[in-house]
Amino acid sequence: MNLLLLGMNHKTAPVEIRERLDIACTEGFSPLGEIRGLPGVEEALYLSTCNRVEILVRGREDAAVEERLRELIFRHGNLSGADLARCLYVYRDADAVRHLFRVAAGLDSLIMGEPQILGQVKDAYRRAVEEEATGIILNKLLHRAFRVAKRVRTETGVANHAVSVSYAAVELAKKIFGALRGQKILLVGAGEMSELAARHLLKHGGDRLFVANRTWERAVRMAAEFQGTAVEFPRLGEALREADIVITSTGAPGYIITGEMVAGALKRRQNRLLFIIDIAVPRDVDPRAGAMDNVYLYNIDDLQEIADENMAIRKEEAARGEEIVSAEAEEFRAWFDTLTVVPTIVSLREKAEAIAAGELERADTWLRNLDPAAREEAALLARAIVNKLLHDPMTTLKEETREGAARAYAAALRRLFRLDGTDGEQ
Amino acid sequence: MDIFAFLYRGALAAYLVSTLTYLVSLFSRRVAPARIATWILAGAWGCHVLFFLGQWAVRGRNPFFGLPDSLSFFALVMAGAYLAFQFRTKTRVLGVFVSPAVFLLMIVASVGIGGPLTAPEILRGGLVSLHAMLSLIGEALFALASAAGLAYLIQDGLLKRRKASRLMKLFPPLRDLDRINHLCLLWGFPLLTLGIVAGAIWARTVWGSHWQWDPKQIWTLAAWLIYAVLLHQRLAIGWRGHKTALLSVAAFLVLLAALLVEQHFFTTIHRFN
Repeated sequence: MNLLLLGMNHKTAPVEIRERLDIACTEGFSPLGEIRGLPGVEEALYLSTCNRVEILVRGREDAAVEERLRELIFRHGNLSGADLARCLYVYRDADAVRHLFRVAAGLDSLIMGEPQILGQVKDAYRRAVEEEATGIILNKLLHRAFRVAKRVRTETGVANHAVSVSYAAVELAKKIFGALRGQKILLVGAGEMSELAARHLLKHGGDRLFVANRTWERAVRMAAEFQGTAVEFPRLGEALREADIVITSTGAPGYIITGEMVAGALKRRQNRLLFIIDIAVPRDVDPRAGAMDNVYLYNIDDLQEIADENMAIRKEEAARGEEIVSAEAEEFRAWFDTLTVVPTIVSLREKAEAIAAGELERADTWLRNLDPAAREEAALLARAIVNKLLHDPMTTLKEETREGAARAYAAALRRLFRLDGTDGEQ
Repeated sequence: MDIFAFLYRGALAAYLVSTLTYLVSLFSRRVAPARIATWILAGAWGCHVLFFLGQWAVRGRNPFFGLPDSLSFFALVMAGAYLAFQFRTKTRVLGVFVSPAVFLLMIVASVGIGGPLTAPEILRGGLVSLHAMLSLIGEALFALASAAGLAYLIQDGLLKRRKASRLMKLFPPLRDLDRINHLCLLWGFPLLTLGIVAGAIWARTVWGSHWQWDPKQIWTLAAWLIYAVLLHQRLAIGWRGHKTALLSVAAFLVLLAALLVEQHFFTTIHRFN
């Protein structure tokens, strides 16, 4: 296939090296143009994210191409030869295909199965297309990669299980309330993680946000930021009657929400379900509340544990993703093999038709003596012989494609019929 | 084999395939098979409806009489109501309970379905058909309510355990299950009530009194009372969630006793097959 992939990622290269290369690539020059300009490179793709830099090229089968690419990275990355040897990985042909598929599907990411990488690969491809750096093979390869990513996402659970505390909270909320539309969220206290959780909940359909804070001004400010309503801290008990999801993260030393408060609220809530997320350390909510009917209380450790277990599940699912990648890589190779078959068939047919046409022309002197209908017959006869003769080898060649032995047959045909010009012997 | 027997066997086979597919979903902890199982269930239900209508309209057979026919109708209502909920709320994996129940009912029913129907003289009349039909629909909805209740109890337990679990991800959200439970009670109760009333009126005309203190009547009344309390608590007091789920499962067990167990352990005049 003559595919060559050079790259470094979060596993092989420290961030200082990746960023040096990335900065050089985004500021100084157009990496694509330069890669494309290297002798022997016919198609190119350049991908750079905060976790990886990858260069994929297709070109002549030539050891010098790799050397030139290394040299280019070396020059722009301002790296020592030792750094380069340590950080850089090189994949060829089938391995390069597999690596690209794994990257696109998020199987090679720092957070297993994360979806952003697919968007980044798509952007990189779009840039390559705009600069006309890709051709038939890379186009096909990239579209395959997008399909693989989609299959891995939908057919395995590799992207399905929340691996951050805030997303774990959203997932739990959905298992309690179903669609989050219309749910009222009460945010008690401030903190990065609790605000993030509130933001996620609102994004997934959460309806109204109430903010309670010991400092009234702060509550008002946060309420404005989330387009919610500020609640006076002493009226927390009343807010508890209204809210469906409560997120607490105050710095208070004791329980802000006592068991009595929750029990009291429950009576007024007509047993509506209550989901309490206690992110604070020390805890804000009396753990006894968690034992009450229709109350689901999760603290920071519970959520962290769930996120960790989900990470383990994702890793299990990744094995299924790898199977998809392998199958698709194999399919891509099969497609690639047909590339050699189709031109062979075309040139074989062209050659045979040229011979038939040539012979008819040579026979023109005596054909002219026949009446037009008979002349037509003779031309048809010549073509029919050509077609019949070619039919079997062509069919066999097309069928062989699936078994991957097509290259050998195509090569033999090219040689036997001297399809690559008169010096087919060498 | 005539067309109706063919439809019935087709429905039975499809219910089986649907059940197995749901079980695959349950044991592999993946939702994708359940999605397929739902469509198979819908196909099975389609065959079943054709069979039912055929029996009723074309053959002129009363489809609510006799154990086989009434079980088949029970299964039909249960599957139909479940599918209606399914297409609205996407509570896919609930089918794990519904589909096997429907399949088992169909198996039991298949022993005598399509056979001769020997209804005694006292059962001729539209009121009896109405009594059987309304009671069966009400009971099938209660069966569905208890399936939703059972799923609710499992999901509630998983959420209270506070651990990551694939089963929890597979099972429907609590509130959707609670809503199914609620709607089934809301529709099932008046239907069963009307069914009982229709039966009582008919009993008066044939036996001379509304009430015979028959074991089946007593069991059914007990179940009816539990459902009355349950519905009252739901609507007036605002009971929801865990308690109603538990109670609707318990109430259905009593109803099941009325429907099945007493057939074998008590003598009853309320037995016509």
